[in-house]
Order: sequence, then C-alpha cells, then structure tokens
Amino acid sequence: MNQRLPRGVEAMLRWLLPGDLVDPIAGDLLEEFVDVQRRRGPARAVAWVWWQAVRVTATFRVERHTRGRPLPPVGDELRSITHMWDSLGHDVVFALRMLRRQPGFTAVALVALALGIGATTAIFSIVDAVLWRPLPYAQPANVVLVAEQRPREGRLNGPVSPADFLDWRAMNRSFSAIAAASDFSLNLTGDVEPQRLRALAVTTGFFDALGVAPAQGRAFEPEEEQPGHQRVAILSDGLWRGAFGARANVVGTTVLLNAEPYVVVGVLPRGFWWTTLPDVIVPRAFEPAERTLRVVHMFPVVARLRPGVSIAQARDDMDEIGRQLAAKYPKENANHFPRVVPIREVIVGETRQPLLVLFGAVVLVLLIAAANVSTLLLARATARRKEIAIRLTLGAARRRLVAQWLTESIVLGSIGGAMGILLASWIVSAAMQLIPTQFLGLPGLDRIGIDLRVLLAAVAGTVGASLLVGIVPASAASNDRTAAALAESGRSTTAGTTTRRLRAALVVGELALSLMLLVGAALLIVSFRKLVDVPTGFQSQHLVTMRVTLPQASYGQAPRAVSFYDALLARIGAAPGVESAGVVTMMPFGGLDSHSGFLIERRTTEFPFPVRVRPLSVSASYFETLRIPLLRGRYLADRDTEGAPEVVVINESAARRFWPDSNPVGQRISLSFDRPRWIEIVGIVGDVKWRSLDREPEPEAYLSYLQQTIAGPTRAMSVVVRSTLPLAASAQLLRTAVAERDRNLPVGAIRPMDDLVAESIAPARLNLWLLAAFAIVAVTLTAEGLYGVMAYLVTQRSHEIGIRMALGASRRAVLLMMLREAGVMTATGIALGLAGAAALSRFLATLLFGVSATDPMVYAAVALLLGVVALAAVVVPSSRATRVDPLVALRED
Amino acid sequence: MPPADVSILGEFEQVVLLAILRLGDDAYAVSIRDEILDCTGRDVARGSIYITLDRLETKGYLRSRLADPTPERGGRAKRYYALRPKAVEALKESRRALVALWRGLEGVLA
Repeated sequence: MNQRLPRGVEAMLRWLLPGDLVDPIAGDLLEEFVDVQRRRGPARAVAWVWWQAVRVTATFRVERHTRGRPLPPVGDELRSITHMWDSLGHDVVFALRMLRRQPGFTAVALVALALGIGATTAIFSIVDAVLWRPLPYAQPANVVLVAEQRPREGRLNGPVSPADFLDWRAMNRSFSAIAAASDFSLNLTGDVEPQRLRALAVTTGFFDALGVAPAQGRAFEPEEEQPGHQRVAILSDGLWRGAFGARANVVGTTVLLNAEPYVVVGVLPRGFWWTTLPDVIVPRAFEPAERTLRVVHMFPVVARLRPGVSIAQARDDMDEIGRQLAAKYPKENANHFPRVVPIREVIVGETRQPLLVLFGAVVLVLLIAAANVSTLLLARATARRKEIAIRLTLGAARRRLVAQWLTESIVLGSIGGAMGILLASWIVSAAMQLIPTQFLGLPGLDRIGIDLRVLLAAVAGTVGASLLVGIVPASAASNDRTAAALAESGRSTTAGTTTRRLRAALVVGELALSLMLLVGAALLIVSFRKLVDVPTGFQSQHLVTMRVTLPQASYGQAPRAVSFYDALLARIGAAPGVESAGVVTMMPFGGLDSHSGFLIERRTTEFPFPVRVRPLSVSASYFETLRIPLLRGRYLADRDTEGAPEVVVINESAARRFWPDSNPVGQRISLSFDRPRWIEIVGIVGDVKWRSLDREPEPEAYLSYLQQTIAGPTRAMSVVVRSTLPLAASAQLLRTAVAERDRNLPVGAIRPMDDLVAESIAPARLNLWLLAAFAIVAVTLTAEGLYGVMAYLVTQRSHEIGIRMALGASRRAVLLMMLREAGVMTATGIALGLAGAAALSRFLATLLFGVSATDPMVYAAVALLLGVVALAAVVVPSSRATRVDPLVALRED
Repeated sequence: MPPADVSILGEFEQVVLLAILRLGDDAYAVSIRDEILDCTGRDVARGSIYITLDRLETKGYLRSRLADPTPERGGRAKRYYALRPKAVEALKESRRALVALWRGLEGVLA
C-alpha cells in the first residue's frame, strides 16, 4: 500500500494552488487515495487520484478567476502560466467579438474553411477506408493473391487453371494455406423468397488463407472438395439476417440452391469481405476431367504466407514452380507464370490512382481556402494598424499581439472545422449513394464514416489551416516597425510593403493552385468526352437485357436447356413491339469474362504463341439483335445445329491478330487440345467493346449454342431483346415469358443495355464531377481573394489616387494602373500554375483517355479562362478607383 | 425582514453549512463530502466542496483552523471548519423563508 501521493500530483497541487490550501487538500486526497487503493487496486487508484487532483485544481482556479479573486501567483513560472491562461481566455473572447462585429467577413471565411475542411475530411475518410485500413483478415499483410501473368499479352493478374492450381498447392513451400475461388450465381428457392445469390465456390484452404473463421458452424472439410460431397454451404451474415431472419439454428438445416439440397454448415462473421461480396460460399469440387485441365483459366487464387516467409521468397518459390510446369507442359504453360502479389495491390489497383488524385486535389482546395482566409485577415490586419501601433507604443509585447492574431485564426479555424466535419459526414453519406457499382467490391466501403481516425485527420487539417491562415498576418502585424506604422497610419496612405507583398504572394499562390485544379478538371472533361464518343461496336439503344440461370437438377441435359431458350426466344420475338431477341453466354458490359486457348489447323507447330479468344455461345439472332456488322463470310444461322457442320464466327480483332496476311474464312480452329475437333470459320464480324470503352477489343469466337458438343454448357445465358416498348413493358414481357416456361425460375435484374454501358464509365464520370466541383470551388475562392485584395488596395490608395487625379491623371490612366497591378499578379500566378500542373500531370495520366496530360490546347484554354475570371474579379474594384473624387479623397483623415 | 448583512445563501451553500453543523468538531472536506452523500445521496465533486468552503470563508460564514499533522495523512495538517454566528443567522433566515413558502403547500406537494 502506497502511503504517499504520486510525486507529480503533489507537485501539481503545490504549483497551482494557494500555499495555505495545498496541505489540507493534499492530505484529504491522500486519505482517500489510500482507501481507493484498498478497494480498487493501485493502478486504478493512481488514475483516480490524478483525475481528482486535476479536477480540484481546475475547478478551484476557474472559480477564483471568475469570482474576480484570481489566485495569488506563486513564483514566476506560475505567474507566466496563469497569465498565459488568462490572456488566452481574453483573446478568445476578443476574437469572438471581432468575428461577430464583422459578419460578412466571418461568413465568407467560415464558408471557405468549412468547404475546404469538409471536402478534405470526406475524401480522406474514403481514401483511408479503401487504401490504408487493414483488410478484415488475420495478419492481412500475409495474404497474397497468386495470379497468372502473361507478359506477352500484357496481362498481369489473370485467373488460373484447375490443374495449375492443384500443382501449386502440392508443390509450394511458401504458403500455409492456398485456395482457389470462383464466383458465379445461384438460385435460392425452397421455403424462402426465391432470389439470385452471388455465390463463391472455394477450395478447402480458403478460410485459412484469409485467417477468417465462420461466426457460427465450421469451415469446409477437405473431403468436401470431392465430387458428390460438396453439397454444403456457408451463408453470409447478410443472407442469414435477411432471407433467414437471423434464425438461431440455421446451421444444420437444408436449403435449396439451384434446386439442389445443400446443408448449411456455417455462417460468416459480420464484417467478412471478399471482392465479389458473396451471399453464399460453397466448396469447389473438381471433376476428374478438371484435375488435368490446363487450358481453361478460371480461378483467382488466394494464399497465406507461412510465418517467416517473405513475399520475395514466395516469389522465388513460385517462379521455380512455374518453370517446372512450363518445362513439363510446354504447350499449355509456356506462356504464363505465377505471380505473387499482396492482395490489396490487386483489389485496389485501379482505384488507387484516382483516389490519390482526388485527395491531392482536395488538399489543394484546402490550401486555397486557407490562403483566401489569410488574405482576408491580412486586409483586416492592415485596417487595424493604428490599433496595433498604439498598443505597441504603449508597451504591449509583440508575443502577445502574435498570440492574439493566432487565437483569432484558430477560433475561426475551429468553427470552420466543426462546420467542415458536419459537412463531411453529409458528403460521405451522399457519396455512398452515388458510388458506381464497379467500386462496390472495394474493401472498407461498409466502414466509411467519420470515425476517430477521420476526426483526428480533420482536426489536424483544421489546426494546419488555422496556422496557415494566421501565421502570415500575425507575423506581418508584429513585424512592422512601430514608428513606421504610426507614421503611416497617421496619414492613411498605402499599406506597408511587407504586408502588400505578402498579400500579393498569397493571391498568386491561390491563382497557381486553382489553375492546377482547373487543368486537371479540364483534362478529365476532354477525356470523358472522347470516352463517351467511343463506339461500342453495336447499337445499345433500345436493348433490354436479362440473365437467366437454369438449375443443373432440372436442366442438366443439354437439349433441355437449348429447347428452353429456343422456346423463350420464339415467345419473346413474337411479342408486339419486339424487333428481335437473342441469347449469349456472356454479354458485353455484363461483368463476366473468360478466355480460352485454341489451336489453328496446320499451325500448331507455332506454339508457344498466345492464341486465346473469348468463346461466346450465341443464338443466330444475337448479331441482328445487337446489330453487330458482318465484315466477311456469313453470320451464324439457325441451320447450324447439332449434326450440321460445326462452324464458328470470329471478330475483327481475332482475324487481324491471328491471320494478319490471309483470309481466315474457310480456315479451321479447335477449342479442344488433346483430341482437336476442327471447326470452320464461316464469317468475320465487327469488334464489340467488352468491359469498358477505353479498352481495346479482344479476339472473340462466336459459336452456335445449338451445337452443344462444341458450345459447352449453356444453362446460364443473357437474353438480349431489341424492342420499342418502354422498359416496364419489356420487363413485364420478359418475366411473363420466363414464368410461362418455368414458374420456379428467378429472374435477375432486367436492365437496359444503355445503363450497363453508362455504368462502365461511371467511375470516370465521378472523377470528373468531383474534380470539376473542386475546381469550381477553387476558382470561386480565388476570384473572391483577388476581388478582396483589389478592393482593399483601392480603398487604401484612394488618397494617392485622389492626388494623382488632382494633378491631372485621367481616369483611364488610373484604371490602367490598377489593372497593371492585378495583371502582374495574375500572370505570375498563371505561369506558376502552368508549371505546377505540368509537373503534376503524370499523376493524372493514367486517368486520361485520348488526351495527353500535357495537352497544350487544354493548358492554354484554362489559362485564358482563369485570366478572364481574374479580370472580372479586379475590374469592378479598379473601376471604382476611377470614380474617386479627389476632393473627398484628400479630405479623408 | 432579514438582518441587512445576511445575504441569501445558495442552495449548495446551505447544504455545506448544514453538513458542517451536523459534524460538529469533525468537519473537514472529506467528512463534509461524506456527510452530504449520506444525508442527501448527492455525490459532490471534491473541487466543488473546496471552492464552496473557500467562498464561505471569504464571505465570513466560516472560520477554519489547522489541526496537528497526523501520520496517516503523510504528516499533513487537516483544515477543520466551523460556523461563525453570521452563518447560523443566515441558515435560520433561509429556513424561515423556506418554511413560509412551504406553508399551505403540504397538500399539493406531499
């Protein structure tokens, strides 16, 4: 038991309390301290006694102070501390009074700061959640993706074939767990509301690789990877709460997925996250044929580094495995190698740059806002020169004056910061509604909000901005020589040179920063226009799409699926208002993709050669429905059925890449390797954009879905319909047509193709809008700053102008003089801004399409625009100078 | 009419003065706080006790004496408080005023 007060407590009491009270209070505290130690233990007692001591001292000092009986100072240290504390209180009160007295100035400054801090905080919260927070996995730094790279095709993070995955799993020495995962969709039926689920099929090690355990139940067992044992499922927290009403005993029950019974063995924890946001996870069982399949690449592979194994070591290990596999299977594996990357790098990859650009842009806005408020304060500082000079003459310490100025800016900054944080929380919740679907797979989106980290960042931003705002006027105010200031203010002529230069520097800085933002926004606008104008290769207007997945249980035999879609197309095609309807295994902008290697007859010796296409199985009506042009030969036709000669139609890219000097029509290719099955190319059609408008089209091969032997499974198809009906009527038609064939079949979202295309450019559009908004705010603030400075100069120099005019200067000469001054500032700002923009342009380059980041036209246009805005901002106050009445001006003061 | 030099006591001031009166010779900050907690159930901040005692002493309601240092307090003196006659007058006056105000309200607020 400690019979003494902690030394610091004792010292603090002695320091801050009147001498005659220290002993009794310290004694009282010690008495209770001993008691609290007994009851709550020594550690908590120490915390308790510190807290009590601080409270007692603070209460005592505040009370004495407000009652007008401040504590007698004890020693010099105490005096200066009390003094500082007292003067801080005075400064805050004084600052508040000044702000209230000038509501216009205060409002402008607060709006600028709130906008700057609010926007910065909002963007920071998003950047932080997506880029910087750890992923919700155990030791997330050890989770890696093992992808397949194809350097010759410029692909880095490709999917992996089943046989490669199995070899990697068996051969690697670097991973404690490695798993393949592939996403697909499932129909949930039974005694719950039928719905389409985002599903993920994973091999056993998946949960170990992520270091995540189900919240209820268990993960998958190794034998559940064997065909016939895979009918088990793990539900997402969301699905469990939604479709199953958070039922307590859901583990062990049976659900119907694609009309087959699955036993629920677990429920995922609440914050579980995977790029595809699955609703349900099932085991991936490999069919015997799949275990040796190397030409179909379908899995992302995730792994966890063994403790003590670095990523570099894992890379060496996998490189060696890649070499061995390439030597063993030269045909299939010569062109691709494993690639080990931290998981976040892949997921966040394409979003990182735009986010950082936005963050940079918003910080620029904050700087502009701070500079703007700073110029306003500086103007006021000049207006208060007389007051300052008198105070200095009367013996006020410079330190006190600086402290007072800084207090004013910090008070201003704090109020602006508080408003900014409110604004940020509003911006963030609004932004969540606008987030393009492409971004939904990003980590941390569910956790974006104003939390402690974000608040700390906002406070840091606020303090930084306040200091920026205050330091210039504060030092300016105290640096002027007293005598000079008195002399100047006696005859209010012009402001001191230092102040004037500082103000000009601030405005020049603002101009430069705004120009940089404007250039960024303008480049994005030009780039976006180019992107929108890119042809898709088909007519997306009046196209409606729907995804249908036929369950294996009732449509397992190929002819049943074919006859379903045949009848469905006939029914839809015959409806009034429908021009044509087609089906396709994967449609453009539908979010799906896969590639397959193929052989070219009599050219197999040319392996290794990256001959890969995107195989698509379609109905003959598909081309007509999308209006994909025929370039050579013929389209697929209804007569290309099972039993008829097997045929294929390729796109222009495939023709150009694989038959650069010859006519591919009449040539034969095979999509199977071991026993080639040659199919004849009968036509070439135009290229179609696939995932986004800014990517080059890739080789494609269209197969008739009626020729099931080569077309592969076609149970999951997208139905595309060209019709003149309104969307609601089309949707109704599609739903009825499906229900007429099979009433248990859930239908996915029915969406116009135009929407899908628009969605593909949504990220670009969002970047554009945000950067444009920032640029507008920046230019407004800058114009306001320029206006303020010029208006102020005019008032300051009315005396001088009066004299000039009295001596015969013309109005024009006066106007020119004022404009020249503004022109020099503007030109300097623009020049600096252009240099800055050029220097920063490389960060923007990856976001641009069809326009160079240093496009001279854009730079020139932006400089011109900013010049015009600047001119507009200075012309009003400058022309006011010409209306100065010499008599009035000279009579002033 | 109350005596001219007795200003109206604040509610908390009354509480503190009454606690001191109840404690008699043993009234110091810690015991006063405990007494208030026991009688009223109010857990008062220590700082409030000190400033109230300080204020009441300045106003002339209380006098204090330092007792001899004791070992269990680390050799520190205890400051004991006692009421001056002015405080007794003020308390009486407060009670009179309150009782007068309460009269006839028993049925309403009982």
